[in-house]
Amino acid sequence: MSPILGTLASQFSGKPFGSFESIATVTVGAGGSSSVSFTSIPSTYTHLQIRCLAKDTTAGSTFQNFKMTINGNTMTRRHFLFADGASVAAGSSTTNLAIGNIPAAGFTSIFGAVIIDILDYANTNKNKTIRSLGGTDANGSGELAFYSALYAVNTNAITNLSFSADSNLAQYTQIALYGIKGA
Amino acid sequence: MANTYKLISSITVGSGGASDMEFTNIPQTYTDLLLKVTGRTNKGDLYNDLSIRFNNSSSDFSTLAFVSTGSGKSTFTTTSPYVGSLNDTGGTGGDNIFSSNDIYIFNYRGSNFKSVSADSAVERNNTGGDEKGLYSTLWSQNAAITTITLVSVGYTLSQYSTAYLYGISNA
Repeated sequence: MSPILGTLASQFSGKPFGSFESIATVTVGAGGSSSVSFTSIPSTYTHLQIRCLAKDTTAGSTFQNFKMTINGNTMTRRHFLFADGASVAAGSSTTNLAIGNIPAAGFTSIFGAVIIDILDYANTNKNKTIRSLGGTDANGSGELAFYSALYAVNTNAITNLSFSADSNLAQYTQIALYGIKGA
Repeated sequence: MANTYKLISSITVGSGGASDMEFTNIPQTYTDLLLKVTGRTNKGDLYNDLSIRFNNSSSDFSTLAFVSTGSGKSTFTTTSPYVGSLNDTGGTGGDNIFSSNDIYIFNYRGSNFKSVSADSAVERNNTGGDEKGLYSTLWSQNAAITTITLVSVGYTLSQYSTAYLYGISNA
């Protein structure tokens, strides 16, 4: 399964669209994809927001991990606060570094929504703290999850983001990268 | 295309720290306001409450929160104007780490009480000391919001703490 590389929305540059701009959007095609990547993210914004509508090709009606890597590295650790309509859970991990939960293939035509915020992504004085809020309603079941994560590999500016699932990202998965100006 | 999401102003705390981050003379031309905050205080602890003041008032607030620390989870109400948490400088594993906070203020220039929705994340590079939460805050005053102050009561905000104020328009 081939990864997909995002194409920067350079056609928008220089136009007065306010402080919230599309950088690039990827929609996964037929057959799915092992990952979706955004490379050469410009450092001209202050914050990044990633809006995802995603699904895993894993068989069955389960919820799978939605994962993110930064500059080619996994995140350092993450915490979650989770609810599924019957129970609430919280926890942490330094090995399972998912940043969201998305439905598997058995949930036909149902995709999970995940919004990820990375503030001061190009600030080299800071390790990066990430917030993610997502959910899936699967018409009788579902999951809500609030994640926080730390990227402490170094304080370099974030220039690459890559997204994947436990199996592959299913067709019609859409991941949109936005830049938010701070000046 | 309408200019629906626009930076109003930003603050970066300089060397020596600051007692607060304050936005004054907020233009009355948007529908909602959004604050994006990264923060850290000089408190010798792991994390600390982030409080908000509108028009220099810390009265008439109520907050409902759903928070998690490690595997613990809880909910609480308070009359304190809490909208999240900030990293502190105590403990280990906290170097160069700042909180991540979004604070959304609805209908800030309307004549009704003001509703705030916020989410907050504090991380540390060791086991424990994290905190994240969802906050719903009400300011039971009718005045338009013209000044917003962000504070960690009793403590100094550290260098490189930042706050960005955006105006959101529905037209």
